[in-house]
Amino acid sequence: MDLQDVILALTRFWGERNCVIQQPYDLEVGAGTMHPETFLRVLGPEPYRVAYVQPSRRPADARFGENPFRFGKHLQLQVILKPSPVDVQDVYLDSLRALGIDPGEHDVRFEEDNWESPTLGAWGVGWQVLLDGMEITQFTYFQQAGGVDLRPIAAELTYGLERIAMFLQRQHDGFAMRWGGGLTYGQVRHRDEVELSRYAFQVADVEVLRRHFQDWEGEARRCLEQKEPLIIPALEAALKMSHLFNLLEARGAISVTERVGLIARVRRQAVGCARAYLAQREALGWPLLAGGVRS
Amino acid sequence: MSGHQFLLELLCEEIPANALAPAAQELATGLTERLRQEGFCEAHCVFSGYTSRRLAVALGGLSAQQPDRSEEVLGPPVRAAFAADGSPTAAALGFARGQGVEVEALRVVEGPRGEVVAVARLIRGEPTPAVLARAVEAAVPSLHFPKNMRWGAGEHTFVRPLHRVVALFGAEALNEVVPLTLFGVRAGGVTLGHRVAHPGAVDLRGISGVGEYRQRLKEAGVVVDPGERQQVLGTTAANLAAQVGCTVRRDEALVAEHVDLLEYPGLVRGAIPVSALVLPEEVLVTTLRHHQKCLVLENEGNVAPYFLAVMDRSDDPRGLVREGNEWVVGARLADAAFFFAQDRRQPLADHARGLARVQFHQKLGSYAEKAGAVAALARWLAVASGAAIRAEEVEAAAALARADLVTGMVGEFPELQGVMGGIYARLDGHPEAVWRAIYDHYRPAGLEGELPAGVLGAVVGVADRLDTLAGIFAVGEIPSGSKDPFALRRAALAVIRLGAEIPLRVDLRAAVERAVAGRARHAAGREVEVIRQLGDFLRERERFYLTSKVGVTGEVADGVLEANWGVVPEDVARARALEAVRQEPVFAQLALTFKRVRNILAKGERGEGEARSLVEPAELALRQALEGVAAEVDRAVGAGDHAAGLRALAALAAPLDRFFVDVMVMCEDPALRQARLALLARLEGVFLRLADLSRLGGATA
Repeated sequence: MDLQDVILALTRFWGERNCVIQQPYDLEVGAGTMHPETFLRVLGPEPYRVAYVQPSRRPADARFGENPFRFGKHLQLQVILKPSPVDVQDVYLDSLRALGIDPGEHDVRFEEDNWESPTLGAWGVGWQVLLDGMEITQFTYFQQAGGVDLRPIAAELTYGLERIAMFLQRQHDGFAMRWGGGLTYGQVRHRDEVELSRYAFQVADVEVLRRHFQDWEGEARRCLEQKEPLIIPALEAALKMSHLFNLLEARGAISVTERVGLIARVRRQAVGCARAYLAQREALGWPLLAGGVRS
Repeated sequence: MSGHQFLLELLCEEIPANALAPAAQELATGLTERLRQEGFCEAHCVFSGYTSRRLAVALGGLSAQQPDRSEEVLGPPVRAAFAADGSPTAAALGFARGQGVEVEALRVVEGPRGEVVAVARLIRGEPTPAVLARAVEAAVPSLHFPKNMRWGAGEHTFVRPLHRVVALFGAEALNEVVPLTLFGVRAGGVTLGHRVAHPGAVDLRGISGVGEYRQRLKEAGVVVDPGERQQVLGTTAANLAAQVGCTVRRDEALVAEHVDLLEYPGLVRGAIPVSALVLPEEVLVTTLRHHQKCLVLENEGNVAPYFLAVMDRSDDPRGLVREGNEWVVGARLADAAFFFAQDRRQPLADHARGLARVQFHQKLGSYAEKAGAVAALARWLAVASGAAIRAEEVEAAAALARADLVTGMVGEFPELQGVMGGIYARLDGHPEAVWRAIYDHYRPAGLEGELPAGVLGAVVGVADRLDTLAGIFAVGEIPSGSKDPFALRRAALAVIRLGAEIPLRVDLRAAVERAVAGRARHAAGREVEVIRQLGDFLRERERFYLTSKVGVTGEVADGVLEANWGVVPEDVARARALEAVRQEPVFAQLALTFKRVRNILAKGERGEGEARSLVEPAELALRQALEGVAAEVDRAVGAGDHAAGLRALAALAAPLDRFFVDVMVMCEDPALRQARLALLARLEGVFLRLADLSRLGGATA
């Protein structure tokens, strides 16, 4: 199965189960969780179901395209089911069937793996799903986001797409994995990995990054201080801060003590967005509560 | 009639492994206790089990009906209930009427505030299922888990979402469903089999008991008894290993973890790709064990080219589980091989140059700076301890000890720090003493755990830790309470353990001065204070070591350390000796009189002119006895026989007692007073070569 077939199969699967098929967020983010379709939609009483691919950037994980298992940018397929359905684990197993994996012939296990994002003020409990010893999905029941206790609870499924495709193709070299259209992952993406690594580790201008971090912090604050807060622009500013932080960290420019302070600054803006979003939706009368989403 | 049983099974989504065993235990005892309080005196647990998805408990010794109980209802005080002539008052009559009994049925009992009248009331037992329902509904939500969660609408809190509850009650056959509800789930008699192997319903109504419950679950792909899973894993592992002429490397902790991760204890054997066998054994084992939780096979002590992966099912008919695990292990090992090859492009000494770019601590500079400080300290320790180590080997080991921090391998496998550096140094052709020292210098990890194999590893390890302690104390980040971000308590304890067990005969007080001098720039004029603080900190860890590892009492540890501390092997020997002799009666007496000596001297005057002025027979006798004892203590300490030294002190008990009866130390005559103080000061000095006996039991009271 080519990488793009994995994407198509999972997208179709979740689309058929009443998920909105969203598109990747058009900003650099570290994980699908930061997409407003997750970070904001899990807040408040309104139900929501969504699935999307999210290219996720982890500059510190980059390896100049030299390590066949490590990528500075990888693809996640993110699913949010709110409220979490009773049969969520069974439906998840069905999604593996859609990939041609019959759980009845494999060893599928759910091993405790809790998740926490200090920058988003978010945490959840759940598992990593292991298929024959390979971690293929992160499965989380969100408990808190933006420092707010959640109710109802959303289930988040995050499929690691490169790993799944490599596993299905029994391919040890990520860059030799088939993407689709007759091309390999390396033919499509290798050069990005090389350049993004060089930028993150060697070229990025620390002073510029620090300045931008501060600038975007100011913008986030200003957006939230508007009489009618601008939540999406504020969240985008906070996401930029988060990415700048990741770059600074990859560059080795952040000391242990400074790290905590920078994370707290991103979190402050994320928490502000969460509160403003809840106030806005409440003022609108929770529009999706009136049966807008079928489960 | 107590031939009834109760079976409870909670089927959840996968529960964290470490929470299972305690929860199963708590559920069994909690339910049994609640039922006993409800009058089922013979209630007992006949089975307690669990899998990754279920908690199960079965109770026996129950009856169909809850036994009737009698309860005492307390009424008014006796003096208010009866008139002087013994006739009942209106209060007594009213109470009896309220309880529905004749006034003659009232009895006198001792209440919490004196004698009162009371009536014994019979409480009819309820049908047992109603009591069971109450007990379960109280016991389950109060189970303790490390972390709870909410799900769905978010109205319930438990360790993981609960899906089904089986609650069955009966005598020969468990055919009555106990009417209870947990987190919105109504109990029934039907559970589910293994999630993928037997995904259907398993109807448990009418089973005869625990035996049949376990059997039915087994048929549905679930082994609910963890002990049985452990046994099956052990046997299967041995068989799979024997098939390829190998044995399983013992790993009880890993097997125990697996037991809690499964519903069915299955194992599959996979092959390690030949290309990965060039990796050092430590890397193979770390990848297999820590990253893939695989059991390692060995052949004549060497790692064999196979692994055993645990699977939550009994079989692997198409070989897909084996193939998948082989692929993952292959990928992990290829990843490790990538970093290994990359690291090996340059010798470890070249990596060490990279330490200049790695910050050790914001205020204390880089690891390169640290390596310099450690080398200086290690050189001094090597000489001071008199260990047979070559200077150039100290130099090389200290310079390279932390170099692996900048290698790719340690970046990916932090648990291999030290080990990787040692391996690279070996491959670079460094002498065994040097690569061993690098390999080992993080050891020991705590109070238990392996020590470095050679003395050079211990010297470098002590130097590294003392430098860390001195540096971080110098910048004022001293651990307090639960705050110990740099794990300094563990570092200090390791210094003590290495001193005691290698052993290293070096005075830690002098070593601390050296270490702080090495970080003088950061102490910025506060060296004396930092030396005192770090000394106290190490001494406190040594006290902990003496009480918890050597096993002496707190007062013995205090007695030894108060007298003198720092050369750890000697401190340990003195502590052992004192522990051995302290029960002898003479030491209780000596403890008291020595306490008096210390109190007198504590005022600060040490006296002088002892030889000139002493006059009283008692003081002259004491002086004479002290000459002999001092010589004997000298001899015994020199010979390392601290118990003999302590027993020699016992000879001073009688003369010292007489001295305090006959002699007034703080007399009017200044010369005489000075002489007496000087005598006592000398005596104190002789005692303190061994221990401050005033710390022993009673003397401090």
